[in-house]
Amino acid sequence: MTTTDAATFLQYAVNGLFLSGLYALVALGLTLIFGVMHVADFAQGALYMLGAYVSFFFTRLVGSYFLSIPLAMLLIAGLGVLNDAVVYRPLHRHGGATTFIAALGILLILQNAALWAFGGDFRLIHSPFGDAKLEISGVIVTYHQLFVMVATAILIGSVWIFLRHTKPGKALRATAQNPEAARLVGISGERIALLAFAVAGSLAGAAGALVSPMRAFDPHIGAVVILKSFAIVIFGGMGSVPGAIVGALIIGLAETFTAAYLAAEFADLVAFALMILILFLRPQGLLGRPAAT
Amino acid sequence: MNPSAILASPRPRTRIRAWMPAGLTGVAALLPLGLRSVAHQNLLVLIAINIILVASLDLLIGQTGLISLGHAGFWGVGAYTSALLVMRGGLPFPLALLGAAAAAAVAGLFIGYPSLRLRGHYFALVTFVFGIILTLLFTSLVRLTRGPMGLPGIPFAKIHLPGLGTYTLNTFQSKVGYYYLVLVVVVFVLWVRSRVARSRMGRALVAIREDEDLAMTVGVVTHRYKVLVFVVSTTFAGLAGSLYAHYTTFLSPEIFTFVASFDLFVMNLVGGAGTPAGPLVGPILLTVLRDILRNLSPVLAEIVFGIFLIASIAFLPRGLVGGWRDLMARWPT
Repeated sequence: MTTTDAATFLQYAVNGLFLSGLYALVALGLTLIFGVMHVADFAQGALYMLGAYVSFFFTRLVGSYFLSIPLAMLLIAGLGVLNDAVVYRPLHRHGGATTFIAALGILLILQNAALWAFGGDFRLIHSPFGDAKLEISGVIVTYHQLFVMVATAILIGSVWIFLRHTKPGKALRATAQNPEAARLVGISGERIALLAFAVAGSLAGAAGALVSPMRAFDPHIGAVVILKSFAIVIFGGMGSVPGAIVGALIIGLAETFTAAYLAAEFADLVAFALMILILFLRPQGLLGRPAAT
Repeated sequence: MNPSAILASPRPRTRIRAWMPAGLTGVAALLPLGLRSVAHQNLLVLIAINIILVASLDLLIGQTGLISLGHAGFWGVGAYTSALLVMRGGLPFPLALLGAAAAAAVAGLFIGYPSLRLRGHYFALVTFVFGIILTLLFTSLVRLTRGPMGLPGIPFAKIHLPGLGTYTLNTFQSKVGYYYLVLVVVVFVLWVRSRVARSRMGRALVAIREDEDLAMTVGVVTHRYKVLVFVVSTTFAGLAGSLYAHYTTFLSPEIFTFVASFDLFVMNLVGGAGTPAGPLVGPILLTVLRDILRNLSPVLAEIVFGIFLIASIAFLPRGLVGGWRDLMARWPT
């Protein structure tokens, strides 16, 4: 392998990692909700898309991109909580397939509401970093990419700390592990569900706000991102937090390298092929616990 | 949704009920005489194609309790196979129709055989993902399907009736002839469906739906029956695909996405899964509703459709036909 080959390879790896970060944020929220509520919340895709729009309009009106990120997280978290209160909780007693269908319904509603309100044009947020970039021995990293990767790491790290070391975080894990026992020790399942939706919503909102200066978006982007994140969650193990992160890394890189070295048109298939493979070989996912039967 | 909740209540077959299929077929055959506008006749054809799709999906969801969320993928396999057999292979339409059914059957066998070893939600997930993979293949195999550009110029169906001559069903000029062609397939599919329901296989499927472990214990080879019904279901979806391709003469991967699978699922649910009339009521109601809404505003149509869908699973988990039966059962006689 010559130096240029190595540099190209590293360049793809950087691009892949960037994609992995985006997937990890959405997949993490998805897996948290799945762990607690057993809902495959496809509406997270719409939340991601709306996060991008919140950031876009705030940046354009107020002029501060950095401030738009916490705002997107806050507003989208609110919307996630609203979804839970209005749709998922009343439907919860019907069980799995029903809530899945309802989630797809919310995705369609929000996607088309965005299409109606904002139009179908592709938008791009102006990054405060402009086109500034670093070049390290032939590998190019833009400042914005760097910023997104650092922000993603901080967000994932804080979720990790929240789950491991805070009382509400531990209560959330307890509920995911055994809802009945958690209720017996006085943890309110409904509040934990709200918490999971709030955390997931803020992650999806952050992902939308962070990535949108790099990738142009329209009201339809949510569907693609959520399908991939869903594949990642199944691949990593439904409800498993490390599974979502490792799965995002593997699938983000696999996708980028397939596009680079095999054929661009098959890049989208990789995530789903890996997901099918794991479902047949290890249905509980890479890092998931085997389902009690 | 708990599949065991959709067991149809047993009722004696009365003489009126025995005549229902023939009567409905007669009404359906007379409809184009009353509905003369092109828009209405177009709707009739689309409803008929949706009935084939929903009736085939109901074999899985209603009869067997298998929630399949990738049905549109098999519909697409049939559509592309039929179009390509005629366009590239030069086959006559009737053979392409059979080819489409065969291709969808093979796809159903390959996907169903391993997937049907999984239970419950896992099966629903796997069918969902296979549906997406099939759509992605329609997009990726550009040399065959022209990918996202779509496949235009699919020839009209040409049918040779012995003794009556050869007809080219130009659906741009008249939709009536094509409607009758689709109607024949609808009647065929519904007939097979009712035969299956009353056969040994149908009873095995109900046993699987109610309690698969128990069915296994009493000697039903559940996996074999599930694969069989899955293949029958995808075969019918393939027929619908071929009929769709030669009707619109244009295919694109966007027609067969997971959203379409989801639409079919909803039609099945709203009509009433596992009820005899459900696969008629759902497609008729929702195809018409969607058409009315789309004429008002396409974006608004999707929003209202989404709300309608969430409301219907919340308030009518057994569908309209199921809900009607519940109401009748409670009525003092």
